[in-house]
Amino acid sequence: MLAKLMKYELKATCRIFPPVYAALLVLAAVTRLLYSFNPRGTNNVPLFISALLYLFILIGMFVMTFVVMIQRFYKNLLADEGYLMFTLPVETWKHITSKLLVSVIWNIGSAAAAILSIIILSIDKILSGELKIKIAIDTSGSFNALLLFEFILLCIAGMVFGILIIYASIAWGHLSNRHRIMASIGAFLVLATFSQVMFFCFKVTPLARELQEHGEVYIGPGTPIAMYHWITWFSIAFFILLSALFFAITNYVLNRELNLE
Amino acid sequence: MPWELKPDRPIYAQLVEHIEQMILSGVYPPGSRLPSVRDLAKEASVNPNTMQRALAMLEEDGLIITHRTSGRSITEDLEMIRKTRARIARDQVSEFLEKMQKLGFEKEEILSIITEMLKEVRG
Amino acid sequence: MNPILECSGLTKTFGPKKALSDINLRIGQGQIVGLLGPNGSGKTTLIKLANALLTPTAGEIRIAGMKPGLGTKKIVSYLPEKNYLNDWMRVRDIIGMFKDFYEDLSPEKAYDMLKRLNISADDKLKTLSKGTKEKVQLILVMSREARLYLLDEPIGGVDPAARNYILETIISNYNPEATVLISTHLIYDVEKVLDHVIFINEGRLVLSSPVDEIREQGKSVDGLFREVFRC
Repeated sequence: MLAKLMKYELKATCRIFPPVYAALLVLAAVTRLLYSFNPRGTNNVPLFISALLYLFILIGMFVMTFVVMIQRFYKNLLADEGYLMFTLPVETWKHITSKLLVSVIWNIGSAAAAILSIIILSIDKILSGELKIKIAIDTSGSFNALLLFEFILLCIAGMVFGILIIYASIAWGHLSNRHRIMASIGAFLVLATFSQVMFFCFKVTPLARELQEHGEVYIGPGTPIAMYHWITWFSIAFFILLSALFFAITNYVLNRELNLE
Repeated sequence: MPWELKPDRPIYAQLVEHIEQMILSGVYPPGSRLPSVRDLAKEASVNPNTMQRALAMLEEDGLIITHRTSGRSITEDLEMIRKTRARIARDQVSEFLEKMQKLGFEKEEILSIITEMLKEVRG
Repeated sequence: MNPILECSGLTKTFGPKKALSDINLRIGQGQIVGLLGPNGSGKTTLIKLANALLTPTAGEIRIAGMKPGLGTKKIVSYLPEKNYLNDWMRVRDIIGMFKDFYEDLSPEKAYDMLKRLNISADDKLKTLSKGTKEKVQLILVMSREARLYLLDEPIGGVDPAARNYILETIISNYNPEATVLISTHLIYDVEKVLDHVIFINEGRLVLSSPVDEIREQGKSVDGLFREVFRC
């Protein structure tokens, strides 16, 4: 059932993103080409326009990813379509999960498109070796696969956290009878503040221990690699725990307190 | 015949009357097969349960026979049909006479009105 | 025989407002039941509770012995007053989606009804008129072999010809193991199809009676309704 829900969720959104991704990449390529025809040229109006358009689409793509995520959740579950969705013989958590996973997919898609477009823009510098891409380099100066893995995990956990806090805010705000948008924003502020407080507690503890043991806290090039791992895994755990909480809140509201107009 | 159903009388009773009329007038000749309950209900725009009840009554009265495997049919007992015809006629007339008497008509008056009007009616 | 729908002490409040108070009801299989009452009387609330779109404040509601949830959603077919069709699918897509989620949906029945109502399966949902969308929703609901059909104002915004078609469909869909609950305020059109009626007002059950009993007293259901709900 979850796969079926995701199938329909993807179908509902698949006309929106790919064209934007394509436009982004095309404009990156065009900008790159225009630059290479006239590298130091001033008054290069076409280049200027192209670059501006590219930037426009880049920003627009991220805004759109965000907006579509909210709109799909609200429109399909809490507006009139909710009458269809919630009478399907499907558990509520599957509805939430299918939207979450599809949002993650498009988020990753947008991020990938952005990265790809930047690579296109700086393609010559990359090929000539002028610009090295340094990621996941540890203190010994070499590529560390574990660091890369952690970094990706952290990004995904952060993404899931960000999506679920918004779903929980929308659901919670929907309980109010009037001014639902304000209520959802209010809910978001509450949940975000709560997250900040939790993060502080989480972060403070290992740092405090560090302080006790070594008399000082230092995070920089010389910091033992263990510290990086610590912080990364703690952050991942933090995101996962809070995501679970927001999922539970969303699930509870949709299950027990749902009141479609 | 269109199924005309009045709103303030039980539907099953009206259905019984209507089917009786159809039997007497030859729309459903003796021995002929009746449509299924569902089809009849659809035709009359009524609840199949109600139609079922009407058919059960007609069966009790002996006008309809249910065959175990092949649905329902009208009885071939012509005597039964004749008796029903007579009963309906008497019911109609007695209703009519009651009304007329309530209006204050005397028996001779009633008879002469009927005789006169029958001359005007065809057939 | 087990009732298909049973309410005991069912109550639903929204803040200070009591939408339903202490409803006690048993509806058996193979019935066509009218849920009749003025606007705002709690009909829609009762139906939403049966669909697990609302949870009771007090009391219980059971469908085929089960509390509203996954199991009941499989056997209940619901036609809401609202239009719940999305705007990116075609008619055939939504039939396909229903088939994906509901085992008891019969696509043949659905396509047959579409043909009878002159609706093309390739039409985009967003281009359909309001009346046509209502017909599509009705088709989706009646193409399911459910045990309980909950129809909330099915003939309200529809023209008289379509109204007849809808009643015809309800009759021909009739099966002794299923029950149809029709919630409406248009009683006159619907009464000859009903076995049983329930009058509800201001959240309370006012009357529950077989239609024949009412008519044996020389009244139509419509007439009784007007009497009972005289302003």
